[in-house]
Amino acid sequence: MTVVTLDAVGPDANRFSARRGDPWERFGRALWIAPVVFALAVTTLYPTVFLLGLAFSKSTLGKPFRGFVGVKHFATALQDPIFLSAIGRSVAYALSTSLLQLALGFLIALLFTSLLKGGRFLMSLVLLPLMTPPVMVGIAWKLIFAPAGGLLNGTLINYGVISQPISFLGHPLLAWLAIAVADLWQWTPFIVILCFAALSTIPEGVREAALVDGANGWQRFWHITLPLVAAPLSSIYLLKLILSFKLFDLVYILTFGGPGFATTSAGFSIYRRAIEQFDVGRAAAETIIYALVIGLATLPAVRLHQRFERREI
Amino acid sequence: MRLAGRHLWLGLATAPIVGFFALPILYLLAVSLKTKDDVLNGAFWPTATTLANWPAAFEAANVVGFIVNSVTVSLLAGFLTIALTLPSAYAVLRLKIGGKWLSDVTLSSYMAPPIVALIPLFFLLKTSGLLDTRAGLALIYGLANVPVAFWLLTPFLRRMPLEIEQAAAIDGAGPFRILLQIVVPIISPGIVATFIIVTVLAYNEFLFASAFTFSDATRTLPVGISLFQGDRLVNFGQMAAASLAGIAPVYLIALFMQRYLVSGLAHGAVK
Repeated sequence: MTVVTLDAVGPDANRFSARRGDPWERFGRALWIAPVVFALAVTTLYPTVFLLGLAFSKSTLGKPFRGFVGVKHFATALQDPIFLSAIGRSVAYALSTSLLQLALGFLIALLFTSLLKGGRFLMSLVLLPLMTPPVMVGIAWKLIFAPAGGLLNGTLINYGVISQPISFLGHPLLAWLAIAVADLWQWTPFIVILCFAALSTIPEGVREAALVDGANGWQRFWHITLPLVAAPLSSIYLLKLILSFKLFDLVYILTFGGPGFATTSAGFSIYRRAIEQFDVGRAAAETIIYALVIGLATLPAVRLHQRFERREI
Repeated sequence: MRLAGRHLWLGLATAPIVGFFALPILYLLAVSLKTKDDVLNGAFWPTATTLANWPAAFEAANVVGFIVNSVTVSLLAGFLTIALTLPSAYAVLRLKIGGKWLSDVTLSSYMAPPIVALIPLFFLLKTSGLLDTRAGLALIYGLANVPVAFWLLTPFLRRMPLEIEQAAAIDGAGPFRILLQIVVPIISPGIVATFIIVTVLAYNEFLFASAFTFSDATRTLPVGISLFQGDRLVNFGQMAAASLAGIAPVYLIALFMQRYLVSGLAHGAVK
């Protein structure tokens, strides 16, 4: 009987690891991952290094790196109340809307799993907001919230709730609510799809066993369903959190950061600093600060996710 | 009796959800059919329908050109992303090349907000003469979506039955041939789903497009549409028509490919 090495594509990949020392073999192996390493180098490594360089130098969009300025840009950015409050708003917005959307998306997914027949049709419906370009999402909601001719004002006036149109996007708090509604419209469907998938991994037997043991609906949900999907839910929350920190398009279209600076998110503030004011050095310092803040703000969610992951095993 | 009550309850809970998710798109459609005076009355449906906004929108701005730019850029980017990601994802999972650090670094690179890369990539495109070109934008999108494609493709590769690949290896096929001739056909639904998702991401992107393109010949649709509202006299009817024209291609894809798309998106999270 001949023994053949079957593992060339198996988990151990013996045939490859056995000849690891051969420089040509090593080159061949490196070639496989070269494309992704190249992509990461261009989109992550190079920007990071470049950004560090910009943050410590005098730079404009036309002429970067003109002289070392030390931590000047960081100091100015950290003393700028407008930038600091933009960061604060971004963090508060991301943490709260992600949690709200997770709760809502999970509830809708629970509802869809109960609707066996209509589930598929509804899944294709919730796919549409996810596929809509954020700029168009912003425009659709802008038409709804517009003071003159907007659907919301028109409806409220027609039903006699208000007599004068409200400028939803011109009011600091209402403008945030408008952005949050548009964000919710666009991203909750994504969460529904992910929660739907997580719920579908629960083995039917577990539910039946609980039913036989006489657990009621709430008990089944709290003691069986929720613990079983806790790990995927934590990763979905993390994913949405990251997406929320990138908030830009909706602010650009719906409010352009206004009224005043009321809805200026950190990303939007940096964008204006770099692209409109050409102050690239300062924008770079602000970007680094914001990236650090995102890292810190997502840390609890990362930790939670890791704890659930470990419990799984 | 109890069952009927349950269905009624579920139906009542579903209706507002369906209504909410359909509302903005239906309203865009309604506004695009309104006359100029009608736009200002704030009712949902137009009192008198008109199709005039549609040709007017296409005349007021180079909407067709924007759509052509968006489609060209996003298709090129989609192909590039898949071509870059597929071999690497396969190598990490099956050939144990790169190991866990590569998938970790790939995923964590997605955490940084895109604004981080905006300025450096601006200079990169400027230096290489690709600023304000469709090729430059396609290149950036193609590279930037690699982490997403990696995340989406890995579960499909993991579910691929190992025995088939091992049988091919016994027959003397090298790993690259196995990937192309065995793995790719079997996981093609996953590849198609991933391709569509990264292409749609490129089609919908706004931040990079608005910073890296500044002429009508290269502007993508989201940027082109966003210019509509910069005009002093915003014409809501035309803006709605142009927006719908831009959304339509993506919705058609979603309609025909929804099964693949839902499973493509869902597999990544469930693992």
